[in-house]
Amino acid sequence: MLRYASLAAIALAVAVPASAQLGAATKSPPPEGLSEGEGAGYAKGKYAELDALPDWGGIWFVQFGGSGGGPPAVPKLKGEYAERYQAWRAEVTANDGVVRRARSNCSAPGMPRIMRLAQYPYEFLFTPGRVTINQEAWMQTRTIWTDGREHPPLEELDPTFMGHSIGHWEGEVLVVDTIGISDALEIDTGMPHSAGFRLTERIHLDSADPDVLVNEMLMVDPEALEETFSVTVRYRRDRNGALIEFQCSENDRNPVDEDGNTLYQ
Amino acid sequence: MKFRNAFLALALLAVPASAHHSYAMFDMQKTIALQGTIVKFKWQNPHAWVEVDAVANGRTERWAIEMTSPNNLIQQGFKRTSMKTGDKVTMQIHPLRSGSKGGSFGAVKLADGTVLGDWAG
Repeated sequence: MLRYASLAAIALAVAVPASAQLGAATKSPPPEGLSEGEGAGYAKGKYAELDALPDWGGIWFVQFGGSGGGPPAVPKLKGEYAERYQAWRAEVTANDGVVRRARSNCSAPGMPRIMRLAQYPYEFLFTPGRVTINQEAWMQTRTIWTDGREHPPLEELDPTFMGHSIGHWEGEVLVVDTIGISDALEIDTGMPHSAGFRLTERIHLDSADPDVLVNEMLMVDPEALEETFSVTVRYRRDRNGALIEFQCSENDRNPVDEDGNTLYQ
Repeated sequence: MKFRNAFLALALLAVPASAHHSYAMFDMQKTIALQGTIVKFKWQNPHAWVEVDAVANGRTERWAIEMTSPNNLIQQGFKRTSMKTGDKVTMQIHPLRSGSKGGSFGAVKLADGTVLGDWAG
């Protein structure tokens, strides 16, 4: 009798997660500013409209020396953010040019830096109501909602590596607005920003070369930036290329020691 | 003008610092040559990787060389089969500043004379 009771208890314990899943599916409310029946969740019947969008097929590599030469643009930090950057610089100089890491090298840089990486290409996928940017780097996915939704209030957003992006098409130009990027991330190496950081992107093919995609990035931050930081990234196309899997933990030869130094194994 | 070009070239070399990890561990100004045999060529993100048994002063030393991402290597003409275990090669690398037997890949000359990467000199 006791034995049966134990078996029943085990069966019950095993069954609990499944029964939870078999209940009513979670029903999220419509996205900010949209009504039920609108938005990217209702894509059926809208795929033909995508053919009017520009030709961004293939994969795209960041192109260097593509911004007209000259020194790279540098964000102008202010206040405590400028002080934190100066302290960081002093530490790097004292440490023989080596940047100490607070996180694993297998941790992605997040926005906006991940849109400017040298080694790993990108692809842009169009579906009704959204543009998806797959990044080979750390196999990250970025979603840009183009279904007319608005940003939720900043205080309701989880601060994330990608932030919350909404976009719309102005002719052949994808205009993207991103907020909600975690303030643990950086504008550029060693350059911190606040929770109020905001990025606008205008992404379009180069009128002089259809195999070049241009991303005009504008960054504002009332707490951290003295003025709008503007940087233009150019990507060159490999039409038949494909992203390669990125499983960092399977090939992590650069662990970070307890002092923040990157090792080489 | 020549100096300026050299400076630009250095600036370009420095660019990968924005990638998976900083390149500060390597002496990117210095290029050394290894002559030897491929032990293993690993074609995987975040960096491809090659181990070489290099012969120097009559002794064999095992070197571990970090490369760029496989997709960037494809752009340079590499394939995952470009280097195989046992292949005889000459390789140019930027050595670790620590003095350990490792470095950042520059270029390779394969046994059939094919050169992949940016061969210096």
